[in-house]
Amino acid sequence: MFIARSEYGNTFSPEGRLFQVEYSLEAIKLGSTAIGVATSEGVILGVEKRVTSTLLETSSVEKIVEIDRHIGCAMSGLQADARSMIEHARVTCQNHAFHYNEPLRVESCTQAICDLALRFGEGAEGEESIMSRPFGVALLIAGFDEDGPSLYHAEPSGTFYRYDAKAIGSGSEGAQAELQNEFHKSLTLAEAEVLVLKTLKQVMEEKLDSKNVQLASVTRERGFRIYEDEEMAGVVGRLESN
Amino acid sequence: MASMYSMPSTTPGYSFPSTHPMTASGPRQHAGFYPYTDNGGSTLGISGKDFTIMAGDTRSTSGYNINTRYEPKLFKIGGDGPKNEGATIVLSVVGFAADGHALKERLDTVAKMYKYQHGKPISVAACAQRLSHILYDKRFFPFYVHAILGGLDENGVGALYSYDPVGSYEREQCRAAGAASSLIMPFLDNQVNFKNQYIPGSGEGHALQQRMPEPLPRHEVEEIVQDAFTSAVERHIEVGDGLQMFVITSNGIEEIYKDLKKD
Amino acid sequence: MDSLVAQYSRPAFSNEGYQEQEQQELADVAPPLSLKFALPPVAQQAAWLRAMTDDHSNPEVPIKIAHGTTTLAFRFQGGIIVATDSRATAGNWIASQTVKKVIEINSCLLGTMAGGAADCQYWLAYLGMQCRLHELRHKKRISVAAASKILANLVYSYKGMGLSMGTMCAGVTPQEGPALYYIDSDGTRLSGNLFCVGSGQTFAYGVLDAEYSYDLSEEDALELGRRSILAATHRDAFSGGYINLYHVKEDGWVKHGFNDTNPIFWKTKLEKGEFSNVTADLE
Repeated sequence: MFIARSEYGNTFSPEGRLFQVEYSLEAIKLGSTAIGVATSEGVILGVEKRVTSTLLETSSVEKIVEIDRHIGCAMSGLQADARSMIEHARVTCQNHAFHYNEPLRVESCTQAICDLALRFGEGAEGEESIMSRPFGVALLIAGFDEDGPSLYHAEPSGTFYRYDAKAIGSGSEGAQAELQNEFHKSLTLAEAEVLVLKTLKQVMEEKLDSKNVQLASVTRERGFRIYEDEEMAGVVGRLESN
Repeated sequence: MASMYSMPSTTPGYSFPSTHPMTASGPRQHAGFYPYTDNGGSTLGISGKDFTIMAGDTRSTSGYNINTRYEPKLFKIGGDGPKNEGATIVLSVVGFAADGHALKERLDTVAKMYKYQHGKPISVAACAQRLSHILYDKRFFPFYVHAILGGLDENGVGALYSYDPVGSYEREQCRAAGAASSLIMPFLDNQVNFKNQYIPGSGEGHALQQRMPEPLPRHEVEEIVQDAFTSAVERHIEVGDGLQMFVITSNGIEEIYKDLKKD
Repeated sequence: MDSLVAQYSRPAFSNEGYQEQEQQELADVAPPLSLKFALPPVAQQAAWLRAMTDDHSNPEVPIKIAHGTTTLAFRFQGGIIVATDSRATAGNWIASQTVKKVIEINSCLLGTMAGGAADCQYWLAYLGMQCRLHELRHKKRISVAAASKILANLVYSYKGMGLSMGTMCAGVTPQEGPALYYIDSDGTRLSGNLFCVGSGQTFAYGVLDAEYSYDLSEEDALELGRRSILAATHRDAFSGGYINLYHVKEDGWVKHGFNDTNPIFWKTKLEKGEFSNVTADLE
């Protein structure tokens, strides 16, 4: 069986499976948990930072990043792989703005990321494959465009779906079930902040505090922004008083 | 413009003369490669509060020959099917018709692909920026065209963008381009932007108040367009035969055709 | 041989319309920033382009590109003043009187436009994109020195191809303070306190050099910028239209109007007694 699997790396197995892609999905389940919740006011992203050592500078753990003023993303899986996806997304956004004088739509941005994710195989125009393996990272892409706020989940397989609320990473199963119970359409942004932290708290091994989690929001008025330390402490305070 | 002062050509006026008629007498530079022909004609666009009118004559000339009396210079951009149904943007091109067609094809392809890729029709502002870059892509081998792009902006207000051959562009109220632009543009400055019109009795001498421009109603603009063309036909040999107008409103694009003098 | 076979074994329709690569670029979500420009099929490309577009050496060229300008910028204690006229000419023809020659690269950086209008518009927009990417990658705003260097390197790579631009980059950053750079299509990049660029530059320098001081108040600095452009529009036929005035401060730039020169001229003459050479009698 193992011989068969390694033989069919980037090609279909006789059963019709792509093992490399399936393994890459497994890699994400080892990653830290990331959660996104979309409300009518905007989208909240939250991640756990695994602080593996007291000597670790927590600010250097970057799991939520800006793609453009109106789009941000949270990641789970291999950080290094995410770097090149995000670079690609940023360039795509800026390129679109350069050519069309308008911000790129969130769905189009997600599509661009997924196009890159597929480049572990040969390109559609016969370009050589630029990667030896699929990406080992999943992204939650949050943005705000003319259709309002939206949240997308992009996988290494190159597929993407739009979600109201989504959890990825090691705690995703438990977290997703929690989101399923708690999410409703009339959620406010402040309630979503608490919901994200509450859900993270349940699946995290460490005790949640304002240092080992990070929040970000995307809204019409303020665009994408990562919460400052005081703001984080405020939300954590609200979580505890609940 | 320039061709008005040139000597009559000694060679027959094929649409692709191998030398530039102007340089034949002057210093000959790179006469071997002259890929352009001026097909004459004129275009103009005027934008209003909730509409934009694009217009162009339909004569096509090369040198002193009239090739055809009906060759439209206006093109719908980004609609559905071969007739561009449902389009909301109009491109006008004047200069070298072949370059104009090539430009139109590119922009139309871009607009159609945009709709598939982003799931919404392209806005005029986006289309305007893209057109600028399409022109600039040929910065070192320019399209011999003066383009004008018209449509409605996101607020439903008339939007008009004018271009130089290599893509510098500006949003304006009105613009005339092509052979008779130097005849029409001063007229539009006065009638659309009220340049050099003063409010009677507002003061003496330098204290006279300038009349402020305001958006004109559609019927007035249509009259101005027709007057501009009938006048241009009287004084410019490359303009005439027919006047094609596209009126862009929130209800779509309405085409109006009027005859012009055929001599 | 292989290419010969390939040429004839391809279906006939594949030779129609666009070339494959061109077709691909049109189909892309946004075309790649390949910076590959179409070139004429001749050996002397730059000379050919000049023959087609350079109306200085031959006023009868077929393709007339918009030109002509007066722009200025100077540093003073309160930041940087940027002022321009608004006329674009194609040969003798005034193509536009309402050109925005101050290009807002981003909220803290301004560029000015002299020379080819399209060159300036395109490359300053390109610079704006590069500045934004720098900001995303490095999490801080780009310095004016770095931004101007990107532009200078870029135009230098096209040297001799026929680009025509003389631009100034003005911005204020915490590490540099007010910073002003001059970049042109020859590849020159200079930092300085005061520049005037364009066909009317000498007239603007005349006024600016006479009255300039680093310690100017904000109000006086704005007035000096306006007055210098006015002088240039008065004596340079290729300059005119409106006076476009900006003030760049530490927390971004502020626009100070886009005003018709004609009333400003008469106001300057009649109220301040300048331009006494011009008669104001109506009879």
